[in-house]
Amino acid sequence: MEHSKQTQYSSNEKKDGGSVLNGHFDGMVKRSAAAQPPGAESGSHRPVMESWREERTRSVEDNEMSLPCLAAAYTTILRGLGEDPQRQGLLKTPWRAATAMQFFTKGYQEKIIDVLNDAIFDEDHDEMVIVKDIDMFSMCEHHLVPIFGRVHIGYLPNKRVLGLSKLARIVEIYSRRLQVQERLTKQIAVAITEALQPTGVGVVIEATHMCMVMRGVQKMNSKTVTSTMLGVFREDPKTRDEFLTLIRS
Amino acid sequence: MNGHCNVNVNDTVEKFQCNNGFSDLSIDTKKSERDTSRKEDEDKSCLDLHVLEAAYTSILRELGEDTDRQGLLRTPLRAAKAMQFLTKGYHETISDILNDAIFDEDHNEMVIVKNIDMFSLCEHHLVPFFGKVHIGYIPNKNVVGLSKLARIVELFSRRLQVQERLTKQIAMGISEALRPKGVAVVIEATHMCMVMRGVQKINSRTVTSTMLGVYLEDPKTREEFLTLSQNP
Repeated sequence: MEHSKQTQYSSNEKKDGGSVLNGHFDGMVKRSAAAQPPGAESGSHRPVMESWREERTRSVEDNEMSLPCLAAAYTTILRGLGEDPQRQGLLKTPWRAATAMQFFTKGYQEKIIDVLNDAIFDEDHDEMVIVKDIDMFSMCEHHLVPIFGRVHIGYLPNKRVLGLSKLARIVEIYSRRLQVQERLTKQIAVAITEALQPTGVGVVIEATHMCMVMRGVQKMNSKTVTSTMLGVFREDPKTRDEFLTLIRS
Repeated sequence: MNGHCNVNVNDTVEKFQCNNGFSDLSIDTKKSERDTSRKEDEDKSCLDLHVLEAAYTSILRELGEDTDRQGLLRTPLRAAKAMQFLTKGYHETISDILNDAIFDEDHNEMVIVKNIDMFSLCEHHLVPFFGKVHIGYIPNKNVVGLSKLARIVELFSRRLQVQERLTKQIAMGISEALRPKGVAVVIEATHMCMVMRGVQKINSRTVTSTMLGVYLEDPKTREEFLTLSQNP
Protein backbone atom coordinates (compact mmCIF):
# COMPACT_ATOMS: atom_id res chain seq x y z
CA MET A 1 0.00 0.00 0.00
CA GLU A 2 2.88 2.28 0.80
CA HIS A 3 4.37 1.84 -2.67
CA SER A 4 1.09 2.42 -4.46
CA LYS A 5 0.55 5.62 -2.49
CA GLN A 6 3.96 6.78 -3.52
CA THR A 7 3.28 6.15 -7.20
CA GLN A 8 -0.05 7.91 -7.05
CA TYR A 9 1.58 10.84 -5.37
CA SER A 10 4.28 11.12 -8.02
CA SER A 11 1.74 10.97 -10.81
CA ASN A 12 -0.30 13.70 -9.15
CA GLU A 13 2.58 16.06 -9.12
CA LYS A 14 3.21 15.45 -12.77
CA LYS A 15 -0.42 16.22 -13.59
CA ASP A 16 -0.65 19.63 -12.00
CA GLY A 17 2.98 20.48 -12.62
CA GLY A 18 3.97 20.31 -8.96
CA SER A 19 1.79 23.25 -7.99
CA VAL A 20 1.06 21.92 -4.53
CA LEU A 21 4.61 21.38 -3.42
CA ASN A 22 7.72 23.41 -3.79
CA GLY A 23 10.84 22.25 -5.55
CA HIS A 24 12.59 21.34 -2.32
CA PHE A 25 10.02 18.81 -1.34
CA ASP A 26 9.75 17.42 -4.83
CA GLY A 27 13.50 17.06 -4.84
CA MET A 28 13.43 15.17 -1.55
CA VAL A 29 10.88 12.69 -2.78
CA LYS A 30 12.67 12.01 -6.04
CA ARG A 31 16.02 11.69 -4.29
CA SER A 32 14.68 9.17 -1.85
CA ALA A 33 13.06 7.06 -4.52
CA ALA A 34 16.09 7.08 -6.80
CA ALA A 35 19.79 6.87 -5.96
CA GLN A 36 21.45 6.19 -2.66
CA PRO A 37 22.31 9.49 -0.98
CA PRO A 38 26.00 10.07 -0.24
CA GLY A 39 25.54 9.90 3.51
CA ALA A 40 24.27 6.30 3.60
CA GLU A 41 26.62 3.68 4.98
CA SER A 42 27.49 0.75 2.82
CA GLY A 43 26.72 -1.57 5.70
CA SER A 44 22.96 -0.86 5.79
CA HIS A 45 20.61 -2.75 3.58
CA ARG A 46 18.77 0.19 2.22
CA PRO A 47 19.37 3.90 1.66
CA VAL A 48 19.06 6.05 4.76
CA MET A 49 16.38 8.26 3.27
CA GLU A 50 14.12 5.36 2.37
CA SER A 51 14.03 3.72 5.77
CA TRP A 52 11.77 6.43 7.16
CA ARG A 53 9.22 5.88 4.45
CA GLU A 54 8.59 2.30 5.44
CA GLU A 55 5.67 1.52 7.64
CA ARG A 56 6.47 -1.73 9.35
CA THR A 57 3.58 -3.81 10.42
CA ARG A 58 3.58 -5.89 13.56
CA SER A 59 0.38 -7.53 14.67
CA VAL A 60 -1.22 -8.25 18.02
CA GLU A 61 -0.52 -11.94 17.38
CA ASP A 62 3.17 -11.16 16.82
CA ASN A 63 3.15 -9.41 20.17
CA GLU A 64 1.72 -12.42 21.96
CA MET A 65 4.23 -14.72 20.35
CA SER A 66 7.23 -12.57 21.19
CA LEU A 67 6.24 -11.99 24.80
CA PRO A 68 7.92 -15.10 26.31
CA CYS A 69 11.16 -14.35 24.44
CA LEU A 70 11.10 -10.73 25.56
CA ALA A 71 10.41 -11.75 29.14
CA ALA A 72 13.32 -14.20 29.05
CA ALA A 73 15.60 -11.45 27.76
CA TYR A 74 14.54 -9.17 30.60
CA THR A 75 15.15 -11.91 33.16
CA THR A 76 18.67 -12.23 31.74
CA ILE A 77 19.12 -8.49 32.05
CA LEU A 78 18.02 -8.49 35.69
CA ARG A 79 20.49 -11.24 36.48
CA GLY A 80 23.22 -9.55 34.49
CA LEU A 81 22.77 -6.41 36.59
CA GLY A 82 23.31 -8.39 39.77
CA GLU A 83 19.70 -8.39 40.93
CA ASP A 84 17.73 -11.38 42.20
CA PRO A 85 14.82 -12.04 39.77
CA GLN A 86 13.15 -14.23 42.40
CA ARG A 87 12.62 -11.51 44.97
CA GLN A 88 9.05 -10.38 45.43
CA GLY A 89 9.33 -7.00 43.73
CA LEU A 90 10.95 -8.49 40.62
CA LEU A 91 8.95 -11.70 40.19
CA LYS A 92 6.70 -10.42 37.41
CA THR A 93 8.96 -7.63 36.24
CA PRO A 94 10.18 -9.40 33.05
CA TRP A 95 6.57 -9.71 31.84
CA ARG A 96 5.66 -6.19 32.84
CA ALA A 97 8.80 -4.75 31.24
CA ALA A 98 8.19 -6.77 28.05
CA THR A 99 4.59 -5.59 27.79
CA ALA A 100 5.68 -2.02 28.52
CA MET A 101 8.29 -2.16 25.78
CA GLN A 102 5.75 -3.49 23.32
CA PHE A 103 3.49 -0.59 24.24
CA PHE A 104 6.32 1.89 23.74
CA THR A 105 6.84 0.50 20.24
CA LYS A 106 3.20 0.05 19.27
CA GLY A 107 3.70 2.49 16.43
CA TYR A 108 5.03 -0.46 14.47
CA GLN A 109 1.60 -2.04 14.62
CA GLU A 110 -0.25 0.84 13.07
CA LYS A 111 -0.45 2.31 9.63
CA ILE A 112 -1.25 5.91 8.85
CA ILE A 113 -4.01 4.91 6.49
CA ASP A 114 -5.88 3.09 9.26
CA VAL A 115 -5.54 5.92 11.71
CA LEU A 116 -6.73 8.67 9.40
CA ASN A 117 -9.99 6.81 9.12
CA ASP A 118 -11.23 8.87 6.21
CA ALA A 119 -11.29 11.94 8.45
CA ILE A 120 -10.30 14.12 5.54
CA PHE A 121 -12.90 16.69 4.65
CA ASP A 122 -13.37 19.07 1.77
CA GLU A 123 -13.37 22.53 3.26
CA ASP A 124 -12.82 25.80 1.48
CA HIS A 125 -10.34 26.99 4.04
CA ASP A 126 -6.90 28.21 3.21
CA GLU A 127 -5.76 29.82 6.45
CA MET A 128 -3.25 28.30 8.82
CA VAL A 129 -4.40 25.51 11.12
CA ILE A 130 -2.21 24.82 14.15
CA VAL A 131 -2.43 22.10 16.77
CA LYS A 132 0.19 22.74 19.42
CA ASP A 133 1.43 21.27 22.69
CA ILE A 134 0.78 17.67 21.68
CA ASP A 135 2.51 15.58 24.36
CA MET A 136 4.89 13.12 22.79
CA PHE A 137 6.67 10.09 24.28
CA SER A 138 9.21 8.16 22.32
CA MET A 139 12.21 5.85 22.81
CA CYS A 140 15.75 6.79 21.86
CA GLU A 141 16.91 4.15 19.38
CA HIS A 142 20.48 4.46 20.55
CA HIS A 143 20.04 3.84 24.28
CA LEU A 144 16.49 2.51 24.59
CA VAL A 145 15.68 5.26 27.10
CA PRO A 146 12.62 7.58 26.91
CA ILE A 147 12.40 10.86 25.04
CA PHE A 148 9.47 13.11 25.85
CA GLY A 149 8.31 16.52 24.85
CA ARG A 150 5.80 18.48 22.84
CA VAL A 151 4.97 18.57 19.17
CA HIS A 152 3.51 21.62 17.40
CA ILE A 153 1.99 21.10 13.98
CA GLY A 154 0.77 23.70 11.52
CA TYR A 155 -0.49 23.34 7.97
CA LEU A 156 -2.07 25.44 5.26
CA PRO A 157 -4.94 23.43 3.78
CA ASN A 158 -5.48 23.19 0.07
CA LYS A 159 -9.21 22.59 -0.01
CA ARG A 160 -8.87 19.62 2.33
CA VAL A 161 -8.69 19.62 6.10
CA LEU A 162 -7.92 16.80 8.50
CA GLY A 163 -9.76 15.87 11.70
CA LEU A 164 -7.73 17.60 14.40
CA SER A 165 -7.21 14.58 16.59
CA LYS A 166 -5.75 12.80 13.57
CA LEU A 167 -2.74 15.07 13.76
CA ALA A 168 -2.17 13.82 17.31
CA ARG A 169 -2.69 10.26 16.14
CA ILE A 170 -0.06 10.68 13.45
CA VAL A 171 2.30 11.88 16.19
CA GLU A 172 1.47 8.78 18.24
CA ILE A 173 2.15 6.37 15.40
CA TYR A 174 5.57 7.72 14.67
CA SER A 175 6.63 8.52 18.20
CA ARG A 176 5.78 5.10 19.65
CA ARG A 177 8.82 3.62 17.93
CA LEU A 178 12.58 3.50 18.37
CA GLN A 179 13.33 6.96 17.12
CA VAL A 180 15.74 9.75 16.43
CA GLN A 181 14.12 13.15 16.96
CA GLU A 182 15.15 14.47 13.55
CA ARG A 183 13.56 11.52 11.79
CA LEU A 184 10.40 11.71 13.88
CA THR A 185 9.87 15.34 12.95
CA LYS A 186 10.28 14.58 9.26
CA GLN A 187 8.05 11.52 9.32
CA ILE A 188 5.18 13.49 10.86
CA ALA A 189 5.53 16.29 8.30
CA VAL A 190 5.74 13.93 5.36
CA ALA A 191 2.76 11.86 6.51
CA ILE A 192 0.56 14.96 6.72
CA THR A 193 1.78 16.10 3.34
CA GLU A 194 1.05 12.76 1.72
CA ALA A 195 -2.40 12.54 3.26
CA LEU A 196 -3.63 16.04 2.51
CA GLN A 197 -1.40 17.56 -0.16
CA PRO A 198 -1.60 20.88 1.66
CA THR A 199 0.05 24.12 0.61
CA GLY A 200 2.56 23.70 3.38
CA VAL A 201 3.30 21.89 6.63
CA GLY A 202 5.40 22.91 9.62
CA VAL A 203 6.32 20.60 12.50
CA VAL A 204 8.34 21.64 15.55
CA ILE A 205 9.33 19.24 18.32
CA GLU A 206 10.85 20.26 21.62
CA ALA A 207 11.93 17.32 23.72
CA THR A 208 13.99 16.17 26.66
CA HIS A 209 16.23 13.17 26.10
CA MET A 210 16.65 10.98 29.15
CA CYS A 211 19.83 9.58 27.61
CA MET A 212 21.36 13.05 28.10
CA VAL A 213 19.71 13.79 31.42
CA MET A 214 19.97 10.51 33.34
CA ARG A 215 23.34 9.37 32.04
CA GLY A 216 26.25 10.46 29.87
CA VAL A 217 26.68 14.20 29.98
CA GLN A 218 23.85 14.58 32.59
CA LYS A 219 22.51 17.99 31.70
CA MET A 220 19.17 18.23 33.50
CA ASN A 221 17.65 21.22 31.78
CA SER A 222 18.73 20.57 28.22
CA LYS A 223 16.08 20.45 25.52
CA THR A 224 16.41 19.52 21.87
CA VAL A 225 14.37 21.39 19.27
CA THR A 226 13.92 20.14 15.71
CA SER A 227 11.71 21.38 12.95
CA THR A 228 10.61 20.44 9.46
CA MET A 229 9.13 23.07 7.14
CA LEU A 230 7.59 22.00 3.86
CA GLY A 231 5.88 23.88 1.08
CA VAL A 232 5.10 27.55 1.76
CA PHE A 233 6.38 27.19 5.30
CA ARG A 234 9.81 26.69 3.78
CA GLU A 235 9.54 29.19 0.91
CA ASP A 236 7.82 32.06 2.61
CA PRO A 237 9.53 33.47 5.69
CA LYS A 238 6.42 35.39 6.74
CA THR A 239 4.31 32.24 6.87
CA ARG A 240 6.99 30.47 8.84
CA ASP A 241 7.21 33.43 11.16
CA GLU A 242 3.49 33.42 11.77
CA PHE A 243 3.59 29.73 12.60
CA LEU A 244 6.54 30.08 14.98
CA THR A 245 4.97 33.07 16.72
CA LEU A 246 1.64 31.34 17.19
CA ILE A 247 3.16 28.21 18.68
CA ARG A 248 5.18 30.25 21.11
CA SER A 249 2.31 32.24 22.55
CA MET B 1 21.30 10.53 70.61
CA ASN B 2 17.92 10.48 72.26
CA GLY B 3 16.26 7.27 73.33
CA HIS B 4 13.45 7.52 70.83
CA CYS B 5 15.74 7.89 67.91
CA ASN B 6 17.72 4.81 68.92
CA VAL B 7 14.60 2.74 69.32
CA ASN B 8 13.12 3.95 66.10
CA VAL B 9 16.27 3.33 64.12
CA ASN B 10 16.75 -0.19 65.47
CA ASP B 11 13.12 -1.18 64.98
CA THR B 12 13.04 0.27 61.53
CA VAL B 13 16.34 -1.33 60.61
CA GLU B 14 15.12 -4.78 61.70
CA LYS B 15 11.77 -4.50 59.97
CA PHE B 16 13.50 -3.09 56.99
CA GLN B 17 15.98 -5.90 56.60
CA CYS B 18 13.22 -8.50 56.83
CA ASN B 19 11.11 -6.85 54.18
CA ASN B 20 13.73 -5.92 51.67
CA GLY B 21 16.03 -8.65 50.47
CA PHE B 22 18.39 -6.15 48.96
CA SER B 23 19.05 -3.84 51.93
CA ASP B 24 22.18 -1.80 52.17
CA LEU B 25 23.79 -4.05 54.76
CA SER B 26 23.59 -7.04 52.44
CA ILE B 27 25.18 -4.96 49.70
CA ASP B 28 28.11 -4.19 51.99
CA THR B 29 28.66 -7.89 52.62
CA LYS B 30 28.53 -8.75 48.95
CA LYS B 31 31.00 -6.06 48.08
CA SER B 32 33.54 -7.10 50.70
CA GLU B 33 33.36 -10.68 49.50
CA ARG B 34 33.97 -9.55 45.96
CA ASP B 35 36.81 -7.29 46.99
CA THR B 36 39.15 -10.26 47.01
CA SER B 37 40.16 -9.82 43.39
CA ARG B 38 39.81 -6.75 41.21
CA LYS B 39 40.61 -8.68 38.04
CA GLU B 40 37.79 -11.10 38.84
CA ASP B 41 35.47 -8.11 39.14
CA GLU B 42 36.56 -6.70 35.82
CA ASP B 43 36.18 -10.03 34.05
CA LYS B 44 32.75 -10.49 35.54
CA SER B 45 31.73 -7.01 34.51
CA CYS B 46 32.89 -7.69 30.95
CA LEU B 47 31.00 -10.96 30.84
CA ASP B 48 27.89 -9.26 32.22
CA LEU B 49 28.14 -6.67 29.46
CA HIS B 50 28.15 -9.35 26.77
CA VAL B 51 25.21 -11.09 28.37
CA LEU B 52 23.27 -7.84 28.56
CA GLU B 53 24.19 -6.99 24.98
CA ALA B 54 22.87 -10.32 23.73
CA ALA B 55 19.66 -9.83 25.70
CA TYR B 56 19.12 -6.40 24.15
CA THR B 57 19.75 -7.72 20.65
CA SER B 58 17.09 -10.32 21.29
CA ILE B 59 14.69 -7.63 22.55
CA LEU B 60 15.17 -5.49 19.45
CA ARG B 61 14.46 -8.45 17.19
CA GLU B 62 11.39 -9.51 19.12
CA LEU B 63 10.00 -5.97 18.87
CA GLY B 64 10.12 -6.34 15.10
CA GLU B 65 13.05 -4.02 14.47
CA ASP B 66 15.91 -4.62 12.04
CA THR B 67 19.07 -4.97 14.14
CA ASP B 68 21.26 -4.45 11.08
CA ARG B 69 20.08 -0.99 10.25
CA GLN B 70 22.56 1.77 10.85
CA GLY B 71 20.85 3.41 13.81
CA LEU B 72 20.58 0.15 15.74
CA LEU B 73 23.95 -1.45 14.98
CA ARG B 74 25.55 -0.59 18.32
CA THR B 75 22.37 -0.06 20.28
CA PRO B 76 22.59 -3.33 22.29
CA LEU B 77 26.01 -2.30 23.58
CA ARG B 78 24.93 1.28 24.33
CA ALA B 79 21.73 0.12 26.03
CA ALA B 80 23.65 -2.42 28.11
CA LYS B 81 26.17 0.20 29.24
CA ALA B 82 23.35 2.65 29.94
CA MET B 83 21.57 0.08 32.08
CA GLN B 84 24.75 -0.68 33.98
CA PHE B 85 25.21 3.04 34.63
CA LEU B 86 21.61 3.40 35.77
CA THR B 87 22.11 0.59 38.30
CA LYS B 88 25.61 1.50 39.45
CA GLY B 89 24.32 2.06 42.96
CA TYR B 90 24.50 -1.68 43.59
CA HIS B 91 28.27 -1.58 43.51
CA GLU B 92 28.83 1.25 45.95
CA THR B 93 28.62 1.45 49.72
CA ILE B 94 27.87 4.26 52.13
CA SER B 95 31.32 4.11 53.69
CA ASP B 96 32.99 4.52 50.28
CA ILE B 97 31.02 7.56 49.32
CA LEU B 98 31.08 9.32 52.67
CA ASN B 99 34.83 9.28 52.40
CA ASP B 100 35.26 10.30 56.04
CA ALA B 101 33.58 13.63 55.36
CA ILE B 102 32.05 13.64 58.83
CA PHE B 103 33.13 16.54 61.00
CA ASP B 104 32.77 17.38 64.65
CA GLU B 105 30.77 20.57 64.81
CA ASP B 106 28.88 21.93 67.73
CA HIS B 107 25.79 22.63 65.69
CA ASN B 108 22.35 21.42 66.64
CA GLU B 109 20.11 23.39 64.31
CA MET B 110 18.39 21.98 61.28
CA VAL B 111 20.42 21.47 58.10
CA ILE B 112 18.46 21.11 54.87
CA VAL B 113 19.66 20.25 51.37
CA LYS B 114 16.76 20.51 48.97
CA ASN B 115 15.99 20.10 45.25
CA ILE B 116 18.48 17.29 44.76
CA ASP B 117 17.68 15.92 41.29
CA MET B 118 17.07 12.20 41.43
CA PHE B 119 16.82 9.64 38.62
CA SER B 120 15.90 6.05 39.29
CA LEU B 121 14.39 3.01 37.58
CA CYS B 122 11.02 1.54 38.47
CA GLU B 123 11.66 -2.07 39.46
CA HIS B 124 8.30 -3.15 38.12
CA HIS B 125 8.55 -1.88 34.57
CA LEU B 126 12.24 -0.97 34.18
CA VAL B 127 11.20 2.54 33.14
CA PRO B 128 12.64 5.72 34.69
CA PHE B 129 11.14 7.77 37.46
CA PHE B 130 12.70 11.07 38.39
CA GLY B 131 12.15 13.99 40.66
CA LYS B 132 13.57 15.95 43.55
CA VAL B 133 14.74 14.89 46.97
CA HIS B 134 14.71 17.16 50.00
CA ILE B 135 16.76 16.09 53.00
CA GLY B 136 16.85 17.61 56.45
CA TYR B 137 18.67 16.50 59.57
CA ILE B 138 19.45 17.82 63.03
CA PRO B 139 23.08 17.07 63.81
CA ASN B 140 24.19 15.55 67.09
CA LYS B 141 27.73 16.90 67.29
CA ASN B 142 28.54 15.50 63.81
CA VAL B 143 27.87 17.17 60.52
CA VAL B 144 28.39 15.62 57.11
CA GLY B 145 29.82 17.21 53.97
CA LEU B 146 26.79 18.58 52.11
CA SER B 147 27.55 16.93 48.79
CA LYS B 148 27.61 13.60 50.62
CA LEU B 149 23.87 13.87 51.14
CA ALA B 150 23.48 14.13 47.36
CA ARG B 151 25.88 11.20 46.93
CA ILE B 152 23.78 9.10 49.28
CA VAL B 153 20.78 9.91 47.09
CA GLU B 154 22.74 8.80 44.02
CA LEU B 155 23.84 5.58 45.72
CA PHE B 156 20.31 4.45 46.46
CA SER B 157 18.55 5.90 43.45
CA ARG B 158 20.81 4.31 40.84
CA ARG B 159 19.12 0.94 41.42
CA LEU B 160 15.89 -0.82 40.56
CA GLN B 161 13.67 0.91 43.05
CA VAL B 162 10.29 1.55 44.53
CA GLN B 163 9.89 5.17 45.64
CA GLU B 164 8.81 4.25 49.16
CA ARG B 165 11.86 2.09 49.69
CA LEU B 166 14.20 4.67 48.18
CA THR B 167 12.97 7.32 50.63
CA LYS B 168 13.48 5.02 53.58
CA GLN B 169 16.92 3.84 52.46
CA ILE B 170 18.18 7.41 52.15
CA ALA B 171 16.88 8.25 55.62
CA MET B 172 18.32 5.09 57.13
CA GLY B 173 21.65 5.60 55.42
CA ILE B 174 22.04 9.07 56.90
CA SER B 175 20.81 7.88 60.29
CA GLU B 176 23.31 5.07 60.53
CA ALA B 177 26.23 7.14 59.31
CA LEU B 178 25.69 10.19 61.51
CA ARG B 179 23.47 9.13 64.42
CA PRO B 180 21.73 12.54 64.29
CA LYS B 181 18.82 13.69 66.43
CA GLY B 182 16.49 13.29 63.49
CA VAL B 183 16.37 12.82 59.75
CA ALA B 184 13.66 13.79 57.27
CA VAL B 185 13.53 12.86 53.61
CA VAL B 186 10.84 13.90 51.14
CA ILE B 187 10.79 12.77 47.51
CA GLU B 188 8.50 14.15 44.83
CA ALA B 189 8.79 12.25 41.58
CA THR B 190 7.19 11.61 38.21
CA HIS B 191 6.86 7.98 37.19
CA MET B 192 7.20 7.35 33.48
CA CYS B 193 5.42 4.03 33.95
CA MET B 194 2.29 6.07 34.78
CA VAL B 195 2.90 8.82 32.28
CA MET B 196 4.10 7.01 29.14
CA ARG B 197 1.94 3.92 29.48
CA GLY B 198 -0.85 2.39 31.56
CA VAL B 199 -3.12 5.05 32.97
CA GLN B 200 -1.18 7.85 31.12
CA LYS B 201 -1.61 10.72 33.52
CA ILE B 202 0.96 13.27 32.47
CA ASN B 203 0.86 15.68 35.38
CA SER B 204 0.73 13.14 38.18
CA ARG B 205 3.41 13.26 40.87
CA THR B 206 4.11 10.87 43.72
CA VAL B 207 5.27 12.24 47.06
CA THR B 208 6.76 10.03 49.78
CA SER B 209 8.42 10.93 53.03
CA THR B 210 10.32 9.32 55.89
CA MET B 211 10.62 11.04 59.27
CA LEU B 212 12.97 9.67 61.90
CA GLY B 213 13.86 10.83 65.39
CA VAL B 214 12.67 14.26 66.42
CA TYR B 215 11.05 14.77 63.04
CA LEU B 216 8.73 11.89 63.85
CA GLU B 217 8.05 12.91 67.45
CA ASP B 218 7.84 16.65 67.27
CA PRO B 219 5.25 18.11 64.88
CA LYS B 220 6.77 21.58 65.04
CA THR B 221 10.17 20.34 63.90
CA ARG B 222 8.54 18.45 61.06
CA GLU B 223 6.57 21.54 60.11
CA GLU B 224 9.67 23.67 60.05
CA PHE B 225 11.35 21.21 57.70
CA LEU B 226 8.35 20.96 55.40
CA THR B 227 8.00 24.72 55.21
CA LEU B 228 11.68 25.35 54.53
CA SER B 229 11.97 22.62 51.93
CA GLN B 230 8.95 23.71 49.91
CA ASN B 231 9.51 25.68 46.74
CA PRO B 232 7.35 28.81 46.39
